[in-house]
Amino acid sequence: MLNSNIEEIKMKIKNIVWLFIALILISSDVIGQKISGIVYEMTQQKKKVPLPGVNLYWLGTQQGTISDEEGKFELNAALNNSNLLVASFVGYLNDTLEINNNEKSVEILLSNNKTLDEFVVTGKQSNTFVSQIDPLYVQTITGAELSRAACCNLSESFETNASVDVAYSDAVSGAKKIELLGLHGKYSQMMTENIPNLRGLSTTYGLGYIPGTWMESIQVSKGTSSVVNGYESITGQINIEYKKPDTEERLFLNAYVNHIGKLEGNFNGSIKLNNRWSTMLYLHGENLNNKVDHNGDSFVDEPLVKQYHVFNRWKYAHNNYMAQFGVQLLDEDRTAGQVEFDKTENPENSSYYGINIRTKRYQAWGKTGYIFNNNSETSLGFINSYTYHDQSSFFGLTRYNGSENTYYANLILQSEIGSHKHKYSTGLSYLYDVYKESLNDSIFNRMESVPGVFFQYTYSNEKNLTLLLGVRSDFHNLYGTFITPRVHVKYNFNEHTILRSSIGKGYRSANIIAENSYLLASSRNIIVKPTIKQEEAWNYGINLTQIFNINDRDLNINIEFYRTDFVNQVVVDRDQSVSEINIYNLDGKSFSNSYQIEAVYELIPRLDVVAAFRYNDVQMTISNKLEREPLVNRYKGLFSLAYKTNLDKWQFDFTTQLNGDARLPDTRENPAIYQRPENSPVYTIMNVQVTKNFRKWNIYLGVENLTDFKQHDPVIAADDPFGPHFDSSIVWGPIMGRKFYGGIKYWIN
Amino acid sequence: MMMKTMKILLITFILQMGFIANSQEEKDDKFKEIEIKTSAQCEMCKERIEKNMAFEKGVKDVVLDLETKVLTIKYRSDKTDPGKLKKAVSKIGYDADDVAADPKAYEKLPDCCKKGGHDHEH
Repeated sequence: MLNSNIEEIKMKIKNIVWLFIALILISSDVIGQKISGIVYEMTQQKKKVPLPGVNLYWLGTQQGTISDEEGKFELNAALNNSNLLVASFVGYLNDTLEINNNEKSVEILLSNNKTLDEFVVTGKQSNTFVSQIDPLYVQTITGAELSRAACCNLSESFETNASVDVAYSDAVSGAKKIELLGLHGKYSQMMTENIPNLRGLSTTYGLGYIPGTWMESIQVSKGTSSVVNGYESITGQINIEYKKPDTEERLFLNAYVNHIGKLEGNFNGSIKLNNRWSTMLYLHGENLNNKVDHNGDSFVDEPLVKQYHVFNRWKYAHNNYMAQFGVQLLDEDRTAGQVEFDKTENPENSSYYGINIRTKRYQAWGKTGYIFNNNSETSLGFINSYTYHDQSSFFGLTRYNGSENTYYANLILQSEIGSHKHKYSTGLSYLYDVYKESLNDSIFNRMESVPGVFFQYTYSNEKNLTLLLGVRSDFHNLYGTFITPRVHVKYNFNEHTILRSSIGKGYRSANIIAENSYLLASSRNIIVKPTIKQEEAWNYGINLTQIFNINDRDLNINIEFYRTDFVNQVVVDRDQSVSEINIYNLDGKSFSNSYQIEAVYELIPRLDVVAAFRYNDVQMTISNKLEREPLVNRYKGLFSLAYKTNLDKWQFDFTTQLNGDARLPDTRENPAIYQRPENSPVYTIMNVQVTKNFRKWNIYLGVENLTDFKQHDPVIAADDPFGPHFDSSIVWGPIMGRKFYGGIKYWIN
Repeated sequence: MMMKTMKILLITFILQMGFIANSQEEKDDKFKEIEIKTSAQCEMCKERIEKNMAFEKGVKDVVLDLETKVLTIKYRSDKTDPGKLKKAVSKIGYDADDVAADPKAYEKLPDCCKKGGHDHEH
């Protein structure tokens, strides 16, 4: 009766979640009064992360324990002489391990859907955490952290993060850009659930395509990354995990409003159809239909945006096989420019300057995974995705249209050689990109077809050293064959001191018009020198993490240095002439040195403090002269406080960012009134938010840009937008002042 | 000017938090503590019970020790009583001392929280 019951429950769970457990015998010393060990979880990049909160008990008894923050546990021998140890954890299959009498130490590896799923982040971890096991320095931003700045999409999700900077690209279109290591976001690889995304034509506006409440977590890894996902990442990788269909949250609703009249609604709901199938639907709609011009320059401070986004995904899991697929449809209409402009007018006949960007984006993706029965360490995964993106737009009298068709496929085999010390991932990839772009009468068409092959080897001495060696070769129809080598080393001096280091290469193809389309809102002529080559760079990084235990709480200090060295870069030169943008291949040096120190500490119970400072030294050869790259802040500071009252009933968040000076593009050719200073001033931005939690819902109120700091006269020659000096691209600070917002979230678990 | 505003805001913020922290720890005769043995199984159960009990009337603090399955609740005796608290635990789907889990709520629990069934059989 007892056994059949347990079997039944086990089978049930087996049908829901799919994973495997491996047991490693570390020591075979005698005397077995006590058993101790560590529970790790195996993430899809074969990273071992200690898993806290795992329930461990002897089968048929109530004698058990829970793994601690570091995944460690200790358990007395079973009183009923049971030698079957059960490990169970939310979202993972519990499994039973046979413990022999002479074993006193075990290492348990839990893994869910090795190649396909990310792990579930539990509430016990801090909002942003860094794995101590991962050879790469990967910062995970959890859902709890994302809720600290409740508005609205991916671009706002980094407000409380010290590594990723977010800024407006220009003064009118509302496009946001991110920077990692002081370099433009196009040099970091954006992924959703480990599928490359938001690249190509969506580089400029893509950050606005992912609603904040759809996300479960974000992983940020700086420096060179794994070769498994391609050759594109140069400064780092940002991966977004959406909420999953088989987790506890069954329904979620969110409504948001701010004082200038922006409305936003989000929904996600999941259904478990049976033991094998589950599905989830996500909806998003936003609308700002109120023209605001607080600075009185006749241009709207924030573009009018209407966006709809629908996403449906399906998951199938049975025994060793699992499959997921999804479809996403996005439609966005963005209108900006002068307040008086009416978007129904023909922009060529209008006496006002107007911008309209109409985007349609359709995506379909699938992932399948299979774990081989005879060897649970061996698995095969296949990922493929298709994206169609279409943008039709005008910026005053300039017309830009672009379409992109992308197909991506990646086949990954993961296994080990002899023991857990030697592991590898290998596989084949294929990327197919067709771009059709037109700027007024110029046509820029391009087709890329890139088959690739990769191999990554991981050595771990299972104590303190992990070595990751990766290499890939890609066969590009336009740029020929190229090799991407990448190396990572992690060494733990002791439990509290971890050193990580990495060297690697990355490449990317520049989409010169699409990724610079924010420059179109100016009277500058775009001059592209033939022939634009592939961008190519080395990245070197070193990172030291030191953990001090003060008052029983960990003070985490992280010190790092990253250098990016361009072999070739597509230089976007705004200095040579105020009436031109010159785009050409780098001739000389271009590099970025980024030094950062970050401290994280729980000062008093439930009060988390983050303080960080970064110095950026970014220089490139512009017109044969090595100069500071324009509009990159020389330094950045972040200070954030998060406080929760007991039982999480109230939550208070405060963040302030310090922005150092940045060199502004040369405007000395302009008439005096249209000139801008050589450098931008230093300024700070503050955000606060208060959240009140109830059992099934919460309400939040917040203020962005509390001190109402604004860049004055962001648009050059705003009074003469069709004249020769008009330029909205020299933006270093906020255009919108203080913004009040509020919202409600409701959920059913 | 900016720095001054910033400082004032920061101090206000910290003071405010200090105030909230203090008011929580206010000592009063009305505050009582109760220990309830539950049928919680795993981390997910712990979260479920703690999150839900936190919003019961009169509850000031909730901690579930998974090892012993004992739920310790600090509460205001003028707003609730042990009977009500046990009933609330039962309504979440778990046994609370002698009060058996509400069958409807139990059915709604995630599968991994249900396996408690086998504990009663030997």
